[in-house]
Amino acid sequence: MERRLQQIFFALSFLALVLIVGAAWQANTPRWKTYQYKFYELEAQGEPNALTKAAVLATPPEVHQQLLTGLQRVDRCTTCHLGVEDPTMKDAPEPFRYHAGLGPHVPSRFGCTICHGGQGLATDKESAHGKVDFWPNPLLSKDYIRASCGRCHKEGDVPGVPELTEGRHLFETQGCRGCHKLNGVGGSIGPDLTAEGANHRSPDWLERHFLAPNTVSTGSAMPNFHFSKDQARALTYYMLSLTAEDMGSFYSSVRLIPGPAYGRQLFVEKNCITCHNIGGVGAKTGPDLLGVAKTHSSEWLDEQLVNPELVYPGSSMPAYDLEPNARKALLAFLISATSADADSILSKRPAKLTPEDVAIEAGKQNFSRFGCVGCHGTELQGGVANPNAQGGEVPSLLHLSDDYTKDEVIAVIRNGRTPPLDNPKGLAPPLYMPAWKKVLSDEDINRIADYLWSKQQTKKAEAW
Amino acid sequence: MNLLQEIYQSIVRRDPLSTDKGKSELVFLNVWLHIHPAKVKREHMKFTHTFYLGFITLFLFLILITTGVALMCYYRPYPAAAYQDMKDLQFVVFMGPFLRAMHRWSAHGMVVCVFLHMCRVFYTGSYKKPRQFNWVVGVVLLLLTLGLSFTGYLLPWDQLAYWAITVGTNIGGYAPLVGGQLRELLLGGHTVGEAALLRFYVLHVAVLPSAVILLTMVHLWRVRKDGGLSRPLSKLKPEPQQKLVTIGAVPEIVQLKTQPALSSKTYGLMEVVTGKPIFETISPEEEDDAVFSYPFAFVREALALMATVTGIMTISLFFHAPLEELANPAKTPNPAKAPWYFLGLQELVSHSALLGGVVAPAVMVLALLVIPYIDRNPSRQLKARKWALGLFAAFVAVNLILIVVGTFFRGPGWAMVPPWVHVVGGTE
Repeated sequence: MERRLQQIFFALSFLALVLIVGAAWQANTPRWKTYQYKFYELEAQGEPNALTKAAVLATPPEVHQQLLTGLQRVDRCTTCHLGVEDPTMKDAPEPFRYHAGLGPHVPSRFGCTICHGGQGLATDKESAHGKVDFWPNPLLSKDYIRASCGRCHKEGDVPGVPELTEGRHLFETQGCRGCHKLNGVGGSIGPDLTAEGANHRSPDWLERHFLAPNTVSTGSAMPNFHFSKDQARALTYYMLSLTAEDMGSFYSSVRLIPGPAYGRQLFVEKNCITCHNIGGVGAKTGPDLLGVAKTHSSEWLDEQLVNPELVYPGSSMPAYDLEPNARKALLAFLISATSADADSILSKRPAKLTPEDVAIEAGKQNFSRFGCVGCHGTELQGGVANPNAQGGEVPSLLHLSDDYTKDEVIAVIRNGRTPPLDNPKGLAPPLYMPAWKKVLSDEDINRIADYLWSKQQTKKAEAW
Repeated sequence: MNLLQEIYQSIVRRDPLSTDKGKSELVFLNVWLHIHPAKVKREHMKFTHTFYLGFITLFLFLILITTGVALMCYYRPYPAAAYQDMKDLQFVVFMGPFLRAMHRWSAHGMVVCVFLHMCRVFYTGSYKKPRQFNWVVGVVLLLLTLGLSFTGYLLPWDQLAYWAITVGTNIGGYAPLVGGQLRELLLGGHTVGEAALLRFYVLHVAVLPSAVILLTMVHLWRVRKDGGLSRPLSKLKPEPQQKLVTIGAVPEIVQLKTQPALSSKTYGLMEVVTGKPIFETISPEEEDDAVFSYPFAFVREALALMATVTGIMTISLFFHAPLEELANPAKTPNPAKAPWYFLGLQELVSHSALLGGVVAPAVMVLALLVIPYIDRNPSRQLKARKWALGLFAAFVAVNLILIVVGTFFRGPGWAMVPPWVHVVGGTE
């Protein structure tokens, strides 16, 4: 018995040794080493010199990685994809092939996963390509990969990606902000979209959602906007690009030098001239901007653009959702701006504006920018389906003056309203009028009312 | 040559092992092997009496310390780095997955073995006088083991870790008056976050292991001082017959003669300690049944050690430790489950927060602690302990059933879903 026990003890000890060796062998023979040996063989084929050939073949296998602190990631993709930056590998088989057309976006500075998705830290194929459990971010398919450009290029046109421009344009003009918040600005009926791209929904899901929200997300309050396929794709691109990651100043730059020309463009785009004037030329609602860069520090001006209420409580200036570089560009423009600039900007506007027109224009801007158009339509026509609300849809705003005074309308905008029910016992309608008093200043709300009143068509007159 | 001999003799002072003296000295001149007396009884080593569960628990703890120290070299306890370090262990650290797997499976194994060990001790009645206090020490060690496993659960900082700890600490928060404060003290805030991770790390690698090591020393020491290893019931001496006493008779108590100490004599300790030792000693009539601890006991324990190590290694070679997505406080998995050994509590909490979160655990722990003092029945014979065994079996069965239900039968929204039914779209 005692002898037998001792024998078992030694047998188990031997087994333990075998298991350790087995674990070490398992650890020492990862697939990436095989890939590296293959790559060095491929590289050695073209070497005429026997010595260099031997040196290439003798390259010790090692994990290659890009530490990208600015992008908050580590990419080990080049452990297997060894030829991405080597033009001689342009005809090599995968995973060694050269990545053409990268321009300035070399892997050593940008890594791979910022555009492609996948799991940068992984060193085996399935895990790295993200097609495994518990990695929500698999490789993006070819159709959607260009959406990633928008993760860094957050403003302006991105060359080669018209979908992004179109998506952003649709987002701002179709009134998405009426229900959705983006970077802190917008309504709260739908989910916040600031980091929608980081939610790892599949592009396919997003696209089908835009085409018919209810088919993929049952009971969704989102109306069907009857987007075309191209529009749905454009919006999908835009959603995929919204990750709210802090990319670091190097990567977040759209136009690397935020110069006055881009600032001027923004000044026109954002219609600053409808409230402000430069050297007396323009509107008088807001202050004269001539020499403002001399009288105020750039930090003060920057804060004024981000959060005017913080600088001047009760300020009527709206907060603009602008990238840091866009704000820098605006300030650069203001340093040099003169009344001549204001003149030329005004002359390119369709017509000279009266103070009433300015107020109406500002109201129209707000109506579009805060997403009222999402439900009430770009022409105030309403008509978005809203089950169990009276009439079954969002009402048109073209005949308000028949039933309401201007003050009553202002009160509804301020405090919001749940629509009267069609069937009092049924479910509450998914869409309702949010209270805007916390988002918009009274000034903004009054302008919107001005705009609405400018568009009223008297039904009674028609009826007579 | 002389120097080598001197070095050897300075380390190993015993006589050669071929002699009985050498075998004895191997044990009592060695701080570690002193865990046993020089001689033990044959029946102590009977496998089916103890299943070596206490030793296996100890060996798992040793594996945990070894692999744990290795893992500490690769781990930084703050959210931004913790998960990435897990990924590094998974993908680039040599034998990293093996190391993590060994640590993870040993931890689960230790929770299981410590519980089975407790069941065995109860079943054989080994908590009875004079071993009551050692049972209490054992229950505290069980709680510390759960604490170690629970604190380690958070460290990978993945979804599994984050939500298991969130649910687990919420259960603790149900305790009246102090629950909320205790939870906050443990987490360093209202939710599981950076502070919680650091606190759990400190508890996991410093506070709790030290406590376990210290109490294990007490536990082993008391095993020896309270009578040595547990003996199988069949070998127990029959209970001494009660002597018939005539009422009113003069008790036969013989007064010990006292003698004034001689001022010319110095006393050794063995002469000062009087009275019969409380523990069993090997009496002369049992001498035939006793064998030297070396090799008889030590070889068997070494065998248990190797079986534990190879078992864990084999499992770890084929099954890697799980690692889910990065912890995301904004994305609650449905259902969010506590670590498996707390799922019985979570199951109870789903019916009643007060019952599952406060009453049940408090009653369970208190009942376990006071068992040796409530159970006045001196007999260790199974037949004489029907009530105690029945109650304990019910306690074990209820715990097991609740854990199995919580683990396998609870789906989204904590609804009853058998494991063979696949829920589609549970998380959307």
